[in-house]
Amino acid sequence: MVRVSDDSDTEGVDAEAAGTDAAIGTTTTTGTEAATSGTAASATRPTSDDSPREAAVGTVGLTRKFGEITAVDDVSLTVPRGELRAVIGPNGAGKTTLFNTVTGALSPTAGSVWLAGEEITDVPQARRPHLGLARSFQGNELFTDRTVLENVRIVVQTTQQGPFRLDLFRDAGPVGRERATELIERVGLAAELDSVARNLSHGDQRRLGIAMALATDPDVLLLDEPTSGMSPGATARTADLIEDIQETLGLTVLLIEHDVEVVLSISDRITVLDRGAVVATGPPEVVRDDPAVQDAYLGGMRENE
Amino acid sequence: MTDRPGRPDRPEADDSDRFGPSTDGGERTDEPAVSRTHEGGPAGSEPDVLSGRSRRLVSLIGRYRVPIGLIVLVLFLRPLVSQPWALGFGRIAATMLIWMLFVASFNLLFGFTGLLSFGHAMFFGFGTYGVAIAVSRFSLPFVAGAVVGITFASAFGYLLGRLIVNKGEIYFAMLTLAVAQAVYFVANRNPYELTGGSNGITGTVPPWIETYRGETTVVLGGLSVDWYWAVAAVFLICALGLWQVLRSPFGRSLIAIRENEALARAMGVDTERYKIASFTMSGALAAVAGALLAISDQGAALETLGVLTSGDAVLMAVLGGVNYFFGPLAGVFVWLFAEDYLTDFEVLYFPLREFVLVSVDLSGVLEYWRFLLGGLFVVIVLLSPKDGVWGFLRGLVTRVARVGERLGGGSRER
Repeated sequence: MVRVSDDSDTEGVDAEAAGTDAAIGTTTTTGTEAATSGTAASATRPTSDDSPREAAVGTVGLTRKFGEITAVDDVSLTVPRGELRAVIGPNGAGKTTLFNTVTGALSPTAGSVWLAGEEITDVPQARRPHLGLARSFQGNELFTDRTVLENVRIVVQTTQQGPFRLDLFRDAGPVGRERATELIERVGLAAELDSVARNLSHGDQRRLGIAMALATDPDVLLLDEPTSGMSPGATARTADLIEDIQETLGLTVLLIEHDVEVVLSISDRITVLDRGAVVATGPPEVVRDDPAVQDAYLGGMRENE
Repeated sequence: MTDRPGRPDRPEADDSDRFGPSTDGGERTDEPAVSRTHEGGPAGSEPDVLSGRSRRLVSLIGRYRVPIGLIVLVLFLRPLVSQPWALGFGRIAATMLIWMLFVASFNLLFGFTGLLSFGHAMFFGFGTYGVAIAVSRFSLPFVAGAVVGITFASAFGYLLGRLIVNKGEIYFAMLTLAVAQAVYFVANRNPYELTGGSNGITGTVPPWIETYRGETTVVLGGLSVDWYWAVAAVFLICALGLWQVLRSPFGRSLIAIRENEALARAMGVDTERYKIASFTMSGALAAVAGALLAISDQGAALETLGVLTSGDAVLMAVLGGVNYFFGPLAGVFVWLFAEDYLTDFEVLYFPLREFVLVSVDLSGVLEYWRFLLGGLFVVIVLLSPKDGVWGFLRGLVTRVARVGERLGGGSRER
């Protein structure tokens, strides 16, 4: 299995694969430039002359180590506003760790995180949703003993009030209730409004997770395997939902996904991670045919079997 | 004990005070009850006008069931325990209310924020010692001592909270225990002759307190009020405040943190600040209870600060049911009632005292009331750790109501 962690190699791979598509060339240069300058001075913005400060979300030389293991290895991402970017890679490639580092659940060992042209590396995790960065979780992370409505309502309330407010003298019931109901209807859970979250089906729980992420009024939405464990029908519906949300709300979406069909059909571009490092970035059809990607991804898959 | 006050006035058995599952916006929570009473009768047999008015009444009672329950509790607690078949004396009722306030303050932290404090006695003690020191050592008025004690508890809670609130569940429990023990040892050392060491402080009687034959009376101006009612007023104000906090947006954030702290943080809740605020409030409320205890006990006892007091608070809350507003109150009632009832219990006459078939001398066994309560505690934790006695009673009432409804509906259909 070829392990490509060096930027020049990435460029080589992409340029080779790109050939016809100029857009990929630009991306690769962007990534490379940002990464090189990133190592020189960590406070460089993750953009090049081509997309100055336009990136909705980006990372520069982002690295996260757990002891000896490097889970995220010098990753530089530039996701322009309005793009639906899929992050794929074999198990253990560091996709979720990348998400955790971007959202602030983990602090990076090195490198920086950028949101809408501002560096947010040192911004506490709880502040980031208020800056427009939201996420859904891989597992079904919910307020399990609460109703569907309350799960979303509490997030709407938090979005309206900020990270902390000593709001003691009124009933919370009506606060953010309309908006919450609207979002629940949007993800197709209107019938389950009063159900306790733990009693929902797996697919509905995932959808509730998306509604909660949307309740933060995000500009950038990070979705961690939104279709995992779903039936083919439910997967297709969820893919449609994501596409619909992304288009109507003009969101930038970063998506971790294992279902190849979903990835190929809805993403604008794909970033392939392997062993923590970016192997390739490009439009679906190009990434699909990239031999290095196939090697890394399928090689990783085969190892797992 | 099934006759506990506070329950009969709840028309709808489920979720009256549960801040756990399916408690939601005030209006909505009432709907299940409404629709159920509606379904009880066959459609159209009851006039709609009546059902509309009664629906509004049920909804109103439903929304304010906790305040109603609290008032009923305060009104009926003393008459109930004074009954000859119960404890036969009413003095313990004031102590019960004080402990209820203390354990409820603990449960704000444990049941509603998810932080287990093993040192809550220190806040209780700050209130007690604050009043006792102010009144006995400096001849200050009670209110000044109470204010000092409560302020100190709040400040202490805030600063300690800032230090330890994010250390993780077990470390939080350990650190509260350690700090409470440190406070205990300081009080035991009797610094500047303030705390009285192991003897504590005795004879703390403000001038407006009169004691005659064990009955404590508050005399203010020309007004004379039984001590129980003074405690009841403070208890009611604090308990209502706590209820309001729990239904406010702030309280909902605390519950979200209890349910899933990592998720709350990821959704933009500054969990640390909420937890610090909860710790501070909980400490302040415990100190209020402590200040009342100083009058009730006419002083401050060192064991109030001890680890057993903290442990009792944990046990009482779990015994009653930490997920319910009334859970800790029920836990205190059961605990203190059992303590008094069982230690005085000597001979069991069966089936009646007047008509004895069998009599069993239990005085030797029931001295181990703590052991018996411990057994009950183990059973509750094994069956349903968050429901406790209160959750069990509510489940029972719901089931009975459902059966009654089915019977009632059937008879009307005929």
